[in-house]
Amino acid sequence: MTAYVAIEPRLAAPAPRPEGLALTYHRLMLIMLVFAGVTMLIASRLLYLQIATDRSTGDTGLNPLIPARGDIVDRNGVPLARSIDAWTIAVHPDKLLGKPEELAVKLAQLMPEHSAGDYLKLLKSGKSFAYLSRRALPELVSAVNALGEPAIEFSREPERLYPQTGLAAHVLGWTDSEGHGVAGMEKVLDRQLINPATRGTPVELSIDTRVQAAMESELGAAMAKFSAIGAAGVVLDLKTGEVLAMTSLPQLNPNKPGQGAVDAGFNRATLGVYELGSTFKPFTVAMAMDLGIVKTFSQMYNCPTGLPVAGGHVITDTHPFGGPCSVADIMRESSNIGTAQIAAQVGSQHQQDFLRRMGFLEPVQVELHERGRTLTPGNNWGEVATMTVGFGHGIAVTPLHLALGYATLFNGGIRRPATLYKVGPGHPVPEGTRVFTEETSRRMRGLLRLVVLAGTGKKADAPGYRVGGKTGTAEKLQGGHYSGSAVVTTFAGVFPMDEPRYVVVAMLDDPKALPETFGFHTAAWNVGPVVSHVVSRVGALLGVAPDPTREPDLSEVAAYLKPEPAH
Amino acid sequence: MIARSFKSVIWVATVGGAALACYMVSLRVATERADLAKVEHQILAAKREIRMLQTELGTRGRMSQLDDWNANVLALSAPTSAQFVRDDVTLARLERHDATVAERTSAEVRMASAETGAAAAPAQAAAEAPKPPQVVNAVARPAPPPAHPVLHQASYTPPVKAALEEAPKPEKAKKPEQHAKADAAKKPADKKVAAAAKPAPEKKVAIADKPAPAKKLAARGKPARHPAPAQESDAD
Repeated sequence: MTAYVAIEPRLAAPAPRPEGLALTYHRLMLIMLVFAGVTMLIASRLLYLQIATDRSTGDTGLNPLIPARGDIVDRNGVPLARSIDAWTIAVHPDKLLGKPEELAVKLAQLMPEHSAGDYLKLLKSGKSFAYLSRRALPELVSAVNALGEPAIEFSREPERLYPQTGLAAHVLGWTDSEGHGVAGMEKVLDRQLINPATRGTPVELSIDTRVQAAMESELGAAMAKFSAIGAAGVVLDLKTGEVLAMTSLPQLNPNKPGQGAVDAGFNRATLGVYELGSTFKPFTVAMAMDLGIVKTFSQMYNCPTGLPVAGGHVITDTHPFGGPCSVADIMRESSNIGTAQIAAQVGSQHQQDFLRRMGFLEPVQVELHERGRTLTPGNNWGEVATMTVGFGHGIAVTPLHLALGYATLFNGGIRRPATLYKVGPGHPVPEGTRVFTEETSRRMRGLLRLVVLAGTGKKADAPGYRVGGKTGTAEKLQGGHYSGSAVVTTFAGVFPMDEPRYVVVAMLDDPKALPETFGFHTAAWNVGPVVSHVVSRVGALLGVAPDPTREPDLSEVAAYLKPEPAH
Repeated sequence: MIARSFKSVIWVATVGGAALACYMVSLRVATERADLAKVEHQILAAKREIRMLQTELGTRGRMSQLDDWNANVLALSAPTSAQFVRDDVTLARLERHDATVAERTSAEVRMASAETGAAAAPAQAAAEAPKPPQVVNAVARPAPPPAHPVLHQASYTPPVKAALEEAPKPEKAKKPEQHAKADAAKKPADKKVAAAAKPAPEKKVAIADKPAPAKKLAARGKPARHPAPAQESDAD
């Protein structure tokens, strides 16, 4: 038998092989392409980054020179408030590695403001975070760092710094621990100082650091000398209403607002209202001149030793005339009786009208939020009230009110609000409203210069600077009674009187009599010299050249220039 | 043939070279940019530092601190109104010329001792002759008590040093300086010389001219007849 073996054509099997191989090649190629593509992608991205990235402008969005909170500077650009990066020392008590007992003792040695017990309590509290010291000095930071405790953390936080410390503290105000203003201009300007668009430009205040320093140092010295419980001072540009200096003592350090006297945070210049006494008398005389009641300064009034008024009260003078006296005499010797009669002639309605137009019946016009409500006779504004208001009793206003009143009286009779911004392109001088006539304003110069040349204000004179002004000594209300022992003494001055430019108001709260003041605690003896010293120190800085040969027009008061003893 | 087979290699090398060159340029640019950024960063850091230092300086030199220093150390006070110049005349009066060191030392110094008697006249003439500023050592002896010649001492310096407030005195300025001085070599009586502080008589006779700048210092100090202002005496 023949057997045939048919060879199975195996050729059929290799036939698909090339296809499979090609497929494999294709797949490999694909994978390679994918790899190459990804590599190319990464490479091109790198190349793009290398070429396209502009490093030079990479950090313009966050300019580190723009402070976290805007600067505040004075009118000459001297920084009053700045933000600095201060060191902060904090601890994570739950991550403590060392022994809390040892660490607490060492911390108490380095930072003695707390006892070792306090630190131990803090370290054992198990809190996740606690501040040990904010605004720490670099020396303290390195000393604490040397303790080698990893749970103690050092960081830099923006902190508000007031380089001039207590200077103009009540104008500037201060910030809380979150960096928000809580008082003064810090509060007024809070949004502007935080806003990234505006915080890069410092805010210019009207304050002049040199004037402010002179006022604070002289007032502080007088306050210490006469053991007063407080003091306030204002220097105002009477043409623009710019406040060049405004101080309230006792001093406050806005860097540590919690420390110091209890009432240090109280702004006596704008928040405290006081009966400012005889400093009101020029207003009464000016009102009477505007109304045509007082025509000349030699107009006579009857000035007995006591003037009985309705209600059984008697108005008295510290040094009575006991006879006829002229308007110039009344002003020179600060006669209550005479002024009361002039005020009575002016009348309640006119007096209220004038005081309203002068802004004395509303909180003082200034940017600060700390503004006190004035106290007035209100509905009891009868004849007696009119008379007492005429010489500054029965009405309580702030020292800034008084400064603005004198500015109104001596800038030609136009009232403008006080401002703490430097007058410039962004802050024009307001138009103002007329209160007194220009003629009255001009004639009052001689009368107030007379008070300083020959009357109660002699100690306030600064040679060459032509100071004019009025003293005021008002008894303080204590428990509903006026007590002769406690007084508020004020001097409101204007210089140079021949061309008035600046108002200076100084006030002492409860100054005591000294042997060298011969037992007097009146304004002539305590605040008068303050004004004299301040004007001598700042007059030339403010561009007023001292000139002993110049005087305002004194022809109307020439007859009264004979010297009298000061009281 | 070889070139054709290496063609691809050459291409790759060319492209690679070009890419490398481009990359080098790019790298260079990037380096410059990085440097620039670094410098800008340094500028920023410096500005921050300046701000910090300014703040520190301002804080250390704050007004209250300056006031304290003034109260405790400097004791400066505000200028009084008299210290301000009001007009041109007052300003012109302030002008003064301080003698320089050269001017002071170049002044001729003369020393003379004078005796009363016959030789008085020429000596006095010599003493009063308008001379350039000089120091004259004159020894004068009073005529009435001949036994006790008294010395006369005076000091004088050029008028340029005249005090500001004082009106110039031309007649004084022309006089030569006269210093009475003990001169043991010329004077027989040492004791009398010691009495130099007594007022001398009018007559003075210059005996000798002795330009001796070194003795100027010794000659100062005891003005007897023409007491010179303090400002003048320090020209010696």
